[in-house]
Amino acid sequence: MAALAGRVRATAILIVAAAAIVWGASLLPNYELRVLDSVLLYVLLAMGLNIVVGYCGLLDLGFIAFYAVGAYSYALLASPHTELHWPFGAVLVVAALLGLGAGVLLGIPVLRLRGDYLAIVTLGFGEIIRVVINNADALTNGPKGISRIYRATLFGWTIATPLDFFYLLLGVCAICFMIVWRLERSILGKAWAAVREDQDAARGVGVDTTFVKLCAFGLSAMIGSVAGVIFAAFQRFVSPESFVFQESLLVVLVVVVGGLGNLLGVIVGATVLIVLPELLREYAQYRMLIYGLMLVGIVLVRPRGLVPKRFDPAWLMVRLGWR
Amino acid sequence: MTLIFENVGKRFGALTAIDGVSMRFEPGLIYSIIGPNGAGKSTLINMAAGSYSLSSGRIALDGRTISGLPKHAIARAGLARTYQNIRLFDEMTTLENLEVALFAEEFRHIIGELFWPRRSRTLKAARRARCLDVLRRFDLDAFADVPARSLAYGHQKQLEIARALVARPRALLLDEPAAGLNHAETEILRARLEALKRADLVMIVVEHDMNLVMSLSDRIHVMHQGCLLFAGTPSEVQGNRAVQEAYLGTPGEHDVIQAAAEARTRRVRIRAHADIARHRSRPASR
Repeated sequence: MAALAGRVRATAILIVAAAAIVWGASLLPNYELRVLDSVLLYVLLAMGLNIVVGYCGLLDLGFIAFYAVGAYSYALLASPHTELHWPFGAVLVVAALLGLGAGVLLGIPVLRLRGDYLAIVTLGFGEIIRVVINNADALTNGPKGISRIYRATLFGWTIATPLDFFYLLLGVCAICFMIVWRLERSILGKAWAAVREDQDAARGVGVDTTFVKLCAFGLSAMIGSVAGVIFAAFQRFVSPESFVFQESLLVVLVVVVGGLGNLLGVIVGATVLIVLPELLREYAQYRMLIYGLMLVGIVLVRPRGLVPKRFDPAWLMVRLGWR
Repeated sequence: MTLIFENVGKRFGALTAIDGVSMRFEPGLIYSIIGPNGAGKSTLINMAAGSYSLSSGRIALDGRTISGLPKHAIARAGLARTYQNIRLFDEMTTLENLEVALFAEEFRHIIGELFWPRRSRTLKAARRARCLDVLRRFDLDAFADVPARSLAYGHQKQLEIARALVARPRALLLDEPAAGLNHAETEILRARLEALKRADLVMIVVEHDMNLVMSLSDRIHVMHQGCLLFAGTPSEVQGNRAVQEAYLGTPGEHDVIQAAAEARTRRVRIRAHADIARHRSRPASR
C-alpha cells in the first residue's frame, strides 16, 4: 500500500513538474525559448552519442554526420529544392531508418578498431560526409545550402514558433529518454557495459561484441538523425557549415561534462554547455577557450563528470517516493 | 557430451607450442592438466575457447566442431572458461557480471523487455533470481549489488567461476583457479569444484597446486614441451617415472647440471684461496 502511495506521489510530482514546464515555457520570450530549444537539441544528440561513448566506451568523433543525414533528409524531402513535400512525421520515420542504416554501415568497417584508432576513423567519416554534402551540388546545393524548407506539421499541428519547437523537442526528448533508460537497464545495456569493461571477456561469456556494438552505433545514429530532422525544420535552412567537426566535439563535451553513461548528466551537460556561452555572449570569441578550460577542469577535478553515476533516473524516482 | 582434442597443434612462428595433441574429456569427471611452465597448458585452453586459432587438428564439443568458430559462438556452444589473471567487468555489480553471460539466451526477448513493462519486470526478476541462485552457491549473494572491483581477491576468483557457470555450460575450463589463494580458500575451492561435478558437465582444471590437483582430479593429463606426456589417475601419475623426469629433468641432464655446479664451486673455492693468500702476503711485503 505504501508502495502504491509512493508511486502515486512520484507520478503526481512528475505531472505537476511537466505541467509547470509547459506552462512556464509559454511565458518566456522568444530568445530564451530559442536557447532552450538549442539545449534540448543537444540533450537529444547527447543521449544518442551517450549510447556509444558512455555505455559502450567507444569514442565517436564523427557523430554530427548522422545529424547531417537527418537534417538533409528533411531538407531534401520537404523543400522547393527538390519540389518534394513529404509530411514531417513521415520524414522523421524515414530519417530514423536512414540514420540506423548509416550507423550500421559505418559500424561494419570501423568496429574492428578500438580506442584512438576508432576515434580517428569516425572523425574522418564525419568530415567525409560534410565534404560530400559540400561538393554534391546537384543534390545538396553545395555550400549554399538548402533554404526555404517547408514548415513542419504533425497531426495537423503546425510547428512554427520557438515555443512549438520547445514542446516538440520536449516530447521527443522524453520519449528518447525513456527508451534509452530502458535500453541501459536491459540485457543489451548490460552487454554494452561488458564491452566497455572487457571486450574479450564479454566474448568469452557469449556476447557477440560486433553485433552489440552495431546495435549501439545504429541506435545512436538513429537518435542523431531524428535530432537532425528537427534541426532542419527549426532553422528551415541547412548548409554544410552546421556539421563541422566542432559540433561533433561539442556533443562529446556534453556527454563528458555531464558524466559518461549518465542520462541525467547529459541534461546537465547540455544545459551548462549551451547556456553558458549565451550568458557570456560578449566574450563569444573566447567560446572555444572556455570549453577547453572547462574540459581540462572537469577531467582534473571530476573525471567522471558533473553528475555522479549513482544519480540516475532510478535514484530520482526513489527520491520522488517511488518504491 | 565429450570434449575432444584431435591432433591439435599450435605454432607461434618457429616455436611449436602444441605438437599434435589428442585428448578426450568425458563429462562427470574432473580432469587436470599439469606440466612445467611453457608446457602448453594455457595454450590448450585458449585454443578451445577460441582465443587462439589452431595450426592443425580440430576440437569438438558433443560431436560438433568448435575450433574455427568465433569466441562468442564457442561460448554459446556450451564451453565456458575462467582466466589465469582475473577478468571481470569491474565497474558492473557482481550480479550484473553474471547477467551478461545470459545475453545470448535473453536477447531474443529484447523487444518485450524494452516496450512491455510487465514482461520487462518478469524477465528481469527471473534473470536476477537465476543469477542469485548461482551466487548463493559461491557464497557471493551478499555482494550481489556491489561493484565487482570492490570484492576481495578470493571472492573475485569465485565470481569468475560463477560467471562461467550461469549459462549452464557443458564444458568448464578453469585456468589456475587456486592461483593466489591461501590454504583455507583453496580448501573451499576444492569443495565447490567437487560439488559442481555433474553427469553432463566436462570439467578441466589447469593448476600448479599439486595438493589440489592430486586430491581433486579423477584424471590427470601431463603436458611436457607441447606434447601429451602421460594421462592417468592421480596415483598412476605420481608413480610414473617419465612425469617425475619432466618435472625434475632427465638423469643425464641432472648429471650435467650437478657437474657444472660442482665445477663452479671448485673455481670459487680456488679463487678464494688465492685471495686469502694474496691478502696474507701483503702485510709481509710492506
